[in-house]
Amino acid sequence: MPEPVLSARAVTVRFGGLVACDGVDLDVRAGELVGLIGPNGAGKTTFFHALSGVLAPDAGRLIVGGADLTGRPAHVFARHGVARTFQTPRVFRDMTALENVRFGMEFAGRSRVHAHDAFDDPQAILGFLGLGEAAAVPAGALTPARQRLLEIGMALAARPRVLLLDEVAAGLTHAELEASAALIRRVRDELGVAVVWIEHAVRVLMDQVERVAVLHQGRKIADGDPRAVARDPAVVEAYLGEEIEPQRLAA
Amino acid sequence: MRLATALAACAIAGLVLAPAPWLVSDFALSLTLSCLMYVGLAVSWAMFSGATNYLSLATAAFFGIGAYVTAWGHGTLPYAVAVPLGGLAAALFAAAIGAAVLHLRGAYFAVITFGLGELVRHAITYGEKTWARTVGRVISDPPATETVYLVVLALALAAVATAAAVRASRFGLALAGVGSDEERARTLGVNTRLVKTGGFALAAFFAGALGAAVAVRWTYIEPASVFNPFIGFQTVLIAMVGGAHTLAGPIASAVVFSVLTELLRLQFPYAYLIVLGALLILLVLYLPGGLASLLERWKWRQRHA
Repeated sequence: MPEPVLSARAVTVRFGGLVACDGVDLDVRAGELVGLIGPNGAGKTTFFHALSGVLAPDAGRLIVGGADLTGRPAHVFARHGVARTFQTPRVFRDMTALENVRFGMEFAGRSRVHAHDAFDDPQAILGFLGLGEAAAVPAGALTPARQRLLEIGMALAARPRVLLLDEVAAGLTHAELEASAALIRRVRDELGVAVVWIEHAVRVLMDQVERVAVLHQGRKIADGDPRAVARDPAVVEAYLGEEIEPQRLAA
Repeated sequence: MRLATALAACAIAGLVLAPAPWLVSDFALSLTLSCLMYVGLAVSWAMFSGATNYLSLATAAFFGIGAYVTAWGHGTLPYAVAVPLGGLAAALFAAAIGAAVLHLRGAYFAVITFGLGELVRHAITYGEKTWARTVGRVISDPPATETVYLVVLALALAAVATAAAVRASRFGLALAGVGSDEERARTLGVNTRLVKTGGFALAAFFAGALGAAVAVRWTYIEPASVFNPFIGFQTVLIAMVGGAHTLAGPIASAVVFSVLTELLRLQFPYAYLIVLGALLILLVLYLPGGLASLLERWKWRQRHA
């Protein structure tokens, strides 16, 4: 097995008395597409904050491409090839869509190379995302759904080895959701970028990924093949009372 | 392209304004000097605070530090050395305090930068009384007015040119990213701490150098006059009224303000501050985006007519 591009070892994050992440392990290998699911408040976003250096974990280690980055600031994670999106789109509202993409390339992406030359041009990245004609539009004037796409473009411009996507499909129609899912697969297939993907729409996610990890109350309770995970009694238990019925996932 | 335009404008302004000491009256020269000083202060302030939305009230502190470099060096340091040294001292001070307080945002940052200015003022007052046994310093042998004018002109133009260069650079993009969404900028690889400290120190350099350059115009230098918070507030107001996110706004506003202050002072020696205050309130109420927003609005109308 190849070396993991991103490795979290026993990552723990506490907020006062609350343990948001409790000794979570996760290894992501090059080109892998991993889903991360869990009921509301399971600690998924907090775990992403730790993986991207936004929050320093209280315990545990974070290794990116073989380098131990535990406790380092977020820009160091970005320069080592960890790129992410945020649950509520965080674009530079006054800058144009093109400038937003160029931003990632000018900083985190500057000292890194893409496997694919086509992504060395901000306009090409916008085209790939279907935002080609919006290049000169201020990012704040785009619809929230398009801002989410733009965030993926900003992250891709950083020439990442692993892309962390936090609910890119939230609030999308079913057709848009399918399109986003296809896009994420293409990012992995065409760029060879490893993707860790949090999504509330568990069914769509399960169809796309070859591996899924489940967080519940800050702990990882399952990690593996989506079909097997969906039948896992601990996962079924965790999702009781949620709108998603895990039995249907297995179908 | 826009950078080239700005630099060409600086060069032309320099050529036009340089002969002033030999052509205009003393009053007009003093007024021009005051305009240039506020152009330099407001443009350098906006370069950092306008881009990053970190509202700094430390301008008076940087200015005062520069002025004190001149005061302490008077008689030993040549004017040509004291001015850049004053800028450097202010920049070092800014880098040191910036590293400590630039994680604070909004009102907290504004208040602490103001507090730091007061701290420096009182520290110097105390130090002078305790060790130098003096409350102020006399500038016995100031350089010629023409020299001071040309140095202030050079500093103001250098501030404008630097601000234009920063806006066109990666550093400027990073500052704008910090102003728009600092955490996002960080996750895209910007060392925000370094960028903020650098920007803060660069702005401080110009305030310090201007303080050092202008200080020789006062025959008597004391903490209360050179650490005058009014200089800091005036700078912030000028930049904000002009439009702190633009380059031309603070320049235009500095000229308007300085001329207006001078005229009001002549016309209404007792009421001028009241009139100035009322004008400010009106501007903030009806033109919150600054004078630059008038131009933007006009351009927008032209395009959509």
